[in-house]
Amino acid sequence: MTRTFDPIELEVLWQSLIATVNEQAKALQRAAFSPIVREAGDLANALFDREGRMVAQAVTGTPGHINSLARAATAILEEYPIDSLEPGDILVTNDPYKTAGQLLDVTVFSPVWRNQHVIAFVGSTIHHTDVGGYGIGAGARDVFEEGLWIPICKLLVKGERNKDVWKFILSNVRQPDHMAGDLHAQIASGEVGSQRLNALCDAHGLDDIDALGAEIIRRSEDATRATIRALAAGTYESSATLDLADGSIIEIKCAITVDPVAGEIIVDYAGSSGASPYGINVVKNYTHAYTTFAVRSVLNPEIPNNFGSLAPIKVEAPEGSIVNAVSPAPCTARHVVGMFLPNALIKALAQIQPDQAMAEGSGAVWTMQVSGNHDDGRPFITAMFTYAGGVGARAAKPGLSATSYPTGVAAVPIEVVEASAPVRFLRKALRPDSGGRGAQVGGLGQTIEFTVDTPRPWQLNAVTSRLAIAPEGIFGGEAGAAGSFSVNGEPVTTQARVTLQPGDVVRLDLPGGGGYGEPVAVGAD
Amino acid sequence: VTESLRDWRLAVDIGGTFTDVVLLDGATGHVVVDKTLTTPSAPLDGVRTGVTQLLAKAGVRPSDITRPIVHATTLVTNALIEGKYGRAGLVTTSGFGDTLLIRNEHRYDMYDLQIEFPDPPIARENTFEIDERTSAEGVVLTEPSPAAIDALVAQLVAREVESVAVCFLNSYANPANERAVAEQLEKQLGVPVCVSAEISPQIREYPRMITTACNAVTMPVIGPYLDELQRWLAAEGFGGSVLMMLSNGGVVSAADAARVPIRLVESGPAAGALAGSWFAKRLGEDRLLCFDMGGTTAKSCLIEQHEPELTNTFEVARMYRFKKGSGFPVSVPSVDLVEIGAGGGSLARVDDLGLLKVGPESAGADPGPASYGRGGTKPAVTDADVLLGYLDPDFFLGGDMQLDRSAADAAVAAVAQRLGLATIDTAAGIHDVVNQNMAAASRMHGVEQGVDLRGVSVIAFGGAGPVHACAVADLLESSRVIFPVNASVLSAFGTLVSPVRIDLARSLVGLLGSITVDQRERVLGELRAEGRRVLAAAGVAESDVRFRYGIDARYAGQGNEITIWVGEGDEWPGDEATVRDDFEREYRRIYGLTIPDVDVEIVTWRVSAVAHMDTVEPAVPEGVAHASAEAKPHRSRPVVYHRGQPALDVPVYRRETLGIGARFDGPAIVEERETTAVIRPGWTVEVASDGSLIATRDIPQTTGADR
Repeated sequence: MTRTFDPIELEVLWQSLIATVNEQAKALQRAAFSPIVREAGDLANALFDREGRMVAQAVTGTPGHINSLARAATAILEEYPIDSLEPGDILVTNDPYKTAGQLLDVTVFSPVWRNQHVIAFVGSTIHHTDVGGYGIGAGARDVFEEGLWIPICKLLVKGERNKDVWKFILSNVRQPDHMAGDLHAQIASGEVGSQRLNALCDAHGLDDIDALGAEIIRRSEDATRATIRALAAGTYESSATLDLADGSIIEIKCAITVDPVAGEIIVDYAGSSGASPYGINVVKNYTHAYTTFAVRSVLNPEIPNNFGSLAPIKVEAPEGSIVNAVSPAPCTARHVVGMFLPNALIKALAQIQPDQAMAEGSGAVWTMQVSGNHDDGRPFITAMFTYAGGVGARAAKPGLSATSYPTGVAAVPIEVVEASAPVRFLRKALRPDSGGRGAQVGGLGQTIEFTVDTPRPWQLNAVTSRLAIAPEGIFGGEAGAAGSFSVNGEPVTTQARVTLQPGDVVRLDLPGGGGYGEPVAVGAD
Repeated sequence: VTESLRDWRLAVDIGGTFTDVVLLDGATGHVVVDKTLTTPSAPLDGVRTGVTQLLAKAGVRPSDITRPIVHATTLVTNALIEGKYGRAGLVTTSGFGDTLLIRNEHRYDMYDLQIEFPDPPIARENTFEIDERTSAEGVVLTEPSPAAIDALVAQLVAREVESVAVCFLNSYANPANERAVAEQLEKQLGVPVCVSAEISPQIREYPRMITTACNAVTMPVIGPYLDELQRWLAAEGFGGSVLMMLSNGGVVSAADAARVPIRLVESGPAAGALAGSWFAKRLGEDRLLCFDMGGTTAKSCLIEQHEPELTNTFEVARMYRFKKGSGFPVSVPSVDLVEIGAGGGSLARVDDLGLLKVGPESAGADPGPASYGRGGTKPAVTDADVLLGYLDPDFFLGGDMQLDRSAADAAVAAVAQRLGLATIDTAAGIHDVVNQNMAAASRMHGVEQGVDLRGVSVIAFGGAGPVHACAVADLLESSRVIFPVNASVLSAFGTLVSPVRIDLARSLVGLLGSITVDQRERVLGELRAEGRRVLAAAGVAESDVRFRYGIDARYAGQGNEITIWVGEGDEWPGDEATVRDDFEREYRRIYGLTIPDVDVEIVTWRVSAVAHMDTVEPAVPEGVAHASAEAKPHRSRPVVYHRGQPALDVPVYRRETLGIGARFDGPAIVEERETTAVIRPGWTVEVASDGSLIATRDIPQTTGADR
């Protein structure tokens, strides 16, 4: 007999499930070693039903992680079917094509046991500090150069460390202490989730969460389809163009088809650019992640993110293109293209929901990593640090200045970077007049300058974008300012790691967002 | 007791709505309380009214009060929320003048494209840069030139600033440049100047700068208020000086508080937590959850081993739909508590998914819940509480305010119709959902401290706290709820039973074992000297000062530290092995594991200077002392406890008729003027020797293992 839930019971249980994953995420962020996890919140936690369908996610992190994790569960369970698991088994992988699209993102997946049965799974994905290989940046020639590939395998077997797997992992990374600490943190957060879910079942007299999960998914799916049914049928097209430091141009074409009869939206990336030789190729999971994120933020941001609310949004992308990368295409810096996708999508959605739309923004956050040697030869390496440009203007509000969009990460504080390596910042300031003019003005970009205090040559791994083609305005708004990436005033023209000399000054001018609507004439009053 | 043996102590707590005043006689334990409306535009008016009324009621002359007057206040918080503060200037390192505008670049809501951020408390045009630089290691690379400082003075004078914040990069590692500039500015400008290394000495430039800015803009608010208060007290002939309650539960002189007003930001809630701590100790509760539910928000604060946990981050003035992240992340030591939008005024609605949601939107005081009869039509938690029979419409505020039951019914019925449920079931649902929200937030608060809250004892205060406490306790699998006497002025009471205390901290980073005794003693010596100075300023004799030592430490490579208290005494009490043991025990308690073979790194050294204090035992209120030990209800009424089940005919007691030792079983309702205690079926109540109601129940053994 299937248990049913009235709207009040369902609200209470649903909020309890969300609280469970939030508790997991809090435990994980507090215990993590990786600075980008603890400082910038680059993590995802989610709860899945027995079939691997996401039922609840933590209110943290980045769309790239969460919506990729939502799809990773299916792949993991294909490899290790639910009946093959024993109590205490915990799975791990960083397979970029099956999970979050880069080797640095490691997913740990724990079954939740209750009365000798698996009733659910809890998973987490976090950005680890290092997985060997090329490191952060777009310069590796294929995925095998990018670092250690951990196939889907058991991290714990019946509660004990799977020794050979740990040996392999820790022997192939530059900071084994941090890697082990972060894996421990992920295991511990899974334990928190498992305990909390069992306590919830105890409190509400549930043997499992099958009926509850199904009801949550059904309600979310129905509400999402109902939203889509209210839209005008049609196919809405747009394209957006992204340029990179080496001058390469990437075209994103998208056609959004609204099918009010089925209550579905189909997003098709046919006609987008082919694979890049640089590590900016996006796996289908990550394309799916940012596509569903952008569509849902315009259509129905209030509906919780889960299998049901994601299901009515279908994504198609030509295999082998830059938005559906196949092995061995390199992909460490896939965020550059992935985080750019909402620019194209929201432009197409603006034709349907102009009030909810916004102009193009700076796209992906720019990422940096600095390494080298101190005067006495000791090596140093910073964690990845990121900076954001301006976001596009909105229908009734200006764009946000120097704010991450679409990712949910925060900037690593300057003082934290300076404390970890001899980097010295000279300036971090808003870029005047970089927001596109309009009825609503675009958000400002920012200018950052830094150097490194070492008498030896040093390396910079920087991934930048939108240096030639500025973020467009919308509905008559003007474009924001394009970005600029230079060393001692000379533009950098490569996507790969560069070696710099003592005293060299790096300057980043991040793009400003586009304006919304015709600018109001100055002095008209 | 003859007058000469009286030992009157006075406390004042200015809250958002009410100003509470409490008088406690240390000799007899006699307590007198009064409550008057807060007067936001001239807060001293409310204080004068309350204190004057109270002294008249108690028959006490101002000159009888010779002990320090302890003061908690929400003035600083309210100034920041309403943007009614002083005009301050900000001075920072050249190249970083936009730091307050850039924040941490984070969007606090991933999906909402319409989010907004508050304007910084100090505008960009009042922010000035100066050429200076210190490295992350604390080496001064560029000293600020006298000419540059002179130029700053001219600019700040032109902007007519009333105070100045100075915040330089890496000043947490070496504050020399900040101090040098601040000294000159203070001398030449003649306005108060605060430096970030004193206000919030920790790494991370944005939190440190926003904290310093919030401090600077509230200096011109709190300074004049305290001056005026002290002048009035002196004119009236009060004998005691004024001590201020800080956000971390410490108490310092008015002069010290005026320099660091941002440390008053959680002054009232900290006082409430101290009251909770005092009860925890008295009742022998090693773990106690303070549950304070008012009109718009509910707060939970865990008291462990008779002390609240402290945190260094607190968000003030959330502006966009109450969302976390939309306020100012100030970084000062505060009592760690969780606050959510769940109160008597929280509104119920049906969302896009057809589910019942309660809060965070609130009906506020105007129009208030539908039952207030002031035009509100949306159902609030209070309306549901009326329909369920928890609140008597004829006995709200002792009958001073008539509630409109039919308006409550109509408002809840509208939501019930959308849900396809009966009105009374919907009312029960509103009650269930808001309780669930509060229990979930409390549980999360526990997780953040590594504590599983199941089975925790709960102490209930605030106007709505006693109405909801038993139900929240049920959700937390708790078996004990305490309803103290004078629950409505508990914060003010908390300040009277707490010792004078200051918590000091300084960064000195190094691996455990690599820091020399000289390095350590230099830091601790400075902290002890500062502690003695602050306590002396608060009137504490040097022989009464006690020191307690702690460190913030982490595994080398981690970003977040945990605080460990090492011991007490005039000298540092720990050695390397015991400190490592203490660290690992605490780490395991919070995270459930330790990490072998990784060094422990100390980041911050802490000294807490505490005044030795005689314990005070408040006397039982006269009403209770003379009441019968046999519980007699004065009537009964129908009350709904479980959704879908019929109302029970439940006895209603008047609190003042319940004498010490009186016992009765739930279901029951206990009414007093300011609040109503709802006792659920399965609970038993006994009146304790201090007049508190103690509700207990038998609970089945839980299946989960204790972490």
